[in-house]
Amino acid sequence: MASRTKQKEEARARRLAEEQARAEKARRDRRIRTVVGVVAAAVIVVVALILINSGGNKGGIKTGTEATATAAAVDQLLAGIPQSGATLGNPNAPVTMTYFGDYECPVCQAFTLQGGFPQLVQNDVRQGKVKVVYKSYCTATCNGPNPSVFPTQQVAGLAAGKQNKFWQYTELFYRQQGQEDTGYVNDAYLTQLARQVTGLNLSTWQSDRGDASLTAQVSSDQTNAKNLGVSGTPTLIFQGPKGQAAPSAAVPSYAQLQQAIKQVS
Amino acid sequence: MTTAVGTATPRRLSVDAKLRIAIGILSVIGIGIGTYLTYTHYAGLHVLCLSSGGCETVQHSRWSKLDGIPVATLGLVGYIAIFISVWIRGEIGRAIGFGLALIGFLFSMYLTYREAFTIHAYCQWCLGSAAVLTLLAILTTIRMLRTDPAAPVTPKKPVDRAERRRQMAARR
Repeated sequence: MASRTKQKEEARARRLAEEQARAEKARRDRRIRTVVGVVAAAVIVVVALILINSGGNKGGIKTGTEATATAAAVDQLLAGIPQSGATLGNPNAPVTMTYFGDYECPVCQAFTLQGGFPQLVQNDVRQGKVKVVYKSYCTATCNGPNPSVFPTQQVAGLAAGKQNKFWQYTELFYRQQGQEDTGYVNDAYLTQLARQVTGLNLSTWQSDRGDASLTAQVSSDQTNAKNLGVSGTPTLIFQGPKGQAAPSAAVPSYAQLQQAIKQVS
Repeated sequence: MTTAVGTATPRRLSVDAKLRIAIGILSVIGIGIGTYLTYTHYAGLHVLCLSSGGCETVQHSRWSKLDGIPVATLGLVGYIAIFISVWIRGEIGRAIGFGLALIGFLFSMYLTYREAFTIHAYCQWCLGSAAVLTLLAILTTIRMLRTDPAAPVTPKKPVDRAERRRQMAARR
């Protein structure tokens, strides 16, 4: 009798254990389904966020009225300011700002278009107090898919500089900078920019692009940057009667540029 | 048997409570970072930064916004949602917290990649937020994968036993 009861208890315990195991398995399966569902949803959301983030503000060459408006804005900014090669402003200005940049660098774009640069040009450069000298230093381009395009793109600007249109070309490049890491810079892109530069002789520009001295200038700028310990772009170095100053912010505001000017003048 | 049940359940609950507290604290840290970055953005103030200009470089980059909205603001909303999810009991609360932390973690990894390989500058606040999101992703994953303390196997036993007794009586 005792043995039968024991057997029944054992059988009941087994059934209970099986039921519990089934319930546990069902719970585990449900949990796995939830986890897989949540992970899949999270991945979809993140991919969408990345697409929005990297796809926004694609930039690139503007056409039609947009291109005309861009060129007009550049002309207005630079009108009446003397240029010589990569130098913008009065050659005898007491303060020189050396701007180490890379045409493909988005931070240079931010500084040139949204930082303190436009105000600096409108005020101090226009008034002949400051001149800006652009020097090439490969950063974003060298980290991109086609680093070898760096001298070609920088020389395209310097070739426009031979017609005293370097800053028009540079401004137009930054205003129509493409999406980084997409290898958007090619001959067609560079030529389309040149076409937008008001008053630029296109055939002269094309032939000047082959000028070996301009390629040498890009190399010399890079060596110069390395010797000065430049590690990123934009790097701004102010030189004046009282010495040298470099704003610490990567995208300095106009107030920060003014502070640097005050330090050296 | 009774002793085993008595000791096992409170231990599990206590781990879950600890996880919820840790997730809550991390969310509050994240809310602090998100609030500061959102405030400086809209107030036009400079971000306090240990590296020379790294934070401003990152904040001025095109990757600092998502369709015009600063990513710091989106992060703030995410942290608040994770904080709220801690107070939602059961599977839904855990799934929401896990999903949000995972989205935040993966997106912060993408932004850190952009900092390292595209912007070439680091923002300590962003890296801090990425670290918080990494910890949140780990803790919410642990919480998600743990056995549900609200549905233990053992408390069912007395019910099953009573049912069995009734079934046996009926058979007799």
